[in-house]
Amino acid sequence: MKGLVIWIRTEEGSNEEILDILGTEIEERGGRVEVFHSKAVENLGMDKNDKAKAIACAMLASHGVVVITSGSEDPSIKSSEKLEIRIIEESDLCHTDAHDGFIRDLELAGLVPPPKYDVHPDEEKEILKKLQDLGYLD
Amino acid sequence: MLVPPHGGRLTDRQYEGSEAEDIIKEVQNCTLLTLNAREKNDLEMIGNGAMSPLEGFMSRYDYESVLDLMRLATGPLWSLPVVFARKDGDPEVAPGDHVGLKDEEGTIWGDMQVEDVFKADLTKEAEISLGTTDDSHPGVMYLKSLSGIYIGGKIRSIRRRETESFQNYRLDPKETRVLFRARGWNTAVAFQTRNPIHRAHEYIQKCAMEIVDGLLLHPLVGETQQGDIPADVRMRCYEEILKDYYPRTRVAMSVFPAAMRYAGPKEAVFHAILRKNYGCSHFIVGRDHAGVGNFYGTYDAQMIFDQFDQEDLGIVPLKFEHAFYCSKCGGMATPKTCAHDNEYHVFLSGKKVRAMLKDGILPPPEFTRPEIASILMEAARKEDN
Repeated sequence: MKGLVIWIRTEEGSNEEILDILGTEIEERGGRVEVFHSKAVENLGMDKNDKAKAIACAMLASHGVVVITSGSEDPSIKSSEKLEIRIIEESDLCHTDAHDGFIRDLELAGLVPPPKYDVHPDEEKEILKKLQDLGYLD
Repeated sequence: MLVPPHGGRLTDRQYEGSEAEDIIKEVQNCTLLTLNAREKNDLEMIGNGAMSPLEGFMSRYDYESVLDLMRLATGPLWSLPVVFARKDGDPEVAPGDHVGLKDEEGTIWGDMQVEDVFKADLTKEAEISLGTTDDSHPGVMYLKSLSGIYIGGKIRSIRRRETESFQNYRLDPKETRVLFRARGWNTAVAFQTRNPIHRAHEYIQKCAMEIVDGLLLHPLVGETQQGDIPADVRMRCYEEILKDYYPRTRVAMSVFPAAMRYAGPKEAVFHAILRKNYGCSHFIVGRDHAGVGNFYGTYDAQMIFDQFDQEDLGIVPLKFEHAFYCSKCGGMATPKTCAHDNEYHVFLSGKKVRAMLKDGILPPPEFTRPEIASILMEAARKEDN
């Protein structure tokens, strides 16, 4: 799978819960994810929007990792053959439709794995009942 | 594990019960646009996930990308436009509008969030999708009946079970997937048909069953052209043959509510992709699949698959020759497996079979099982009356 940097454009000082939520969602699908928090950035001696941070993200992503990070400005790196950079506003990710649309675009582009199940487990039980009623299953 | 849906996940934009009632209330004060028979079939299949990853009628980007590259703008392989045309007498709409979708009788079948209104080059669409602009092709005739203005956008479809034909055979992609898993199938082959089942079809299906876990018999029951055997007759034939000639646990029959486009090779790819969404790993492609008249070469619908990477397509096409009974072999065969001359082969054209049935002559059992021949004869008699 091609590497991916998801760059979430945030307001200065916003909490980074959204990074973890997105990271968990992609990880549960079997993706290799690295969430690059501001804290880690600071610990590495980089500014929040530092060019060095963008380069570090790109290096990780070029090994097929989905790197999720945030910044108040656009990253100084560009998509290449080895990795894609996708930028999204934090506010967009908070809306269910926009969030789903963003993830769906990444799926269709082959940048994140699809969900592990094709039918939700709760729905699967209802369908099994229907199939029995119709005589498809004993 | 079953093959993943095309584009990774099944779309689900189909609503019923109170959710459907909410949609009907929502569109009461909206502009209503009219669906023709094909669009109504397409709406159902987008809604139930058969056309995943489509979430609506195509916008210009997808439409042009499909025509020019045989791909959706987002990347996945896709061979035919799935579009909604503005009808004469319908009001004009613009991007951003929320519209209701009704049939010609006024029944609401869904809604659309309009994203794009664009003028299409229907001649180009006919040349690329159908390979012809000849007026005698039913697909060209269809295109020429349209306004040339397409309206694209995400849809929600309403399911009205009470109005559906073949209610006991209506399985959506998620339902066939659950069925396959429950039966322990990891692989399944789909057989698309708009004809009654003859021995040749049975032979091909059973050859395919030798290499997969199960068979999905998937007769097309959407809009077809005049002259095709009616869907209810074809379904009766299948019900009859399944009683005695197939192992019950290795076959599932369900209807495929798609409209025929008669687009030959491009439609063969389209049919394959849709069957992948139903959970099938293999798809039987016969000679002149989805063809009409002499518009396509005998093997065009098989050869088109050679240009795709397996990973891109995600379903294996099983290409079959035309099968027949060989009296010297003493069994069913194809030109690939039989060494004998045509004089030993029992083969009847559709035209010949129809003539025999009208004259009250049953086709020979080497061509059609007697049970099937009886059903066809009864249907031919009713048609005459």
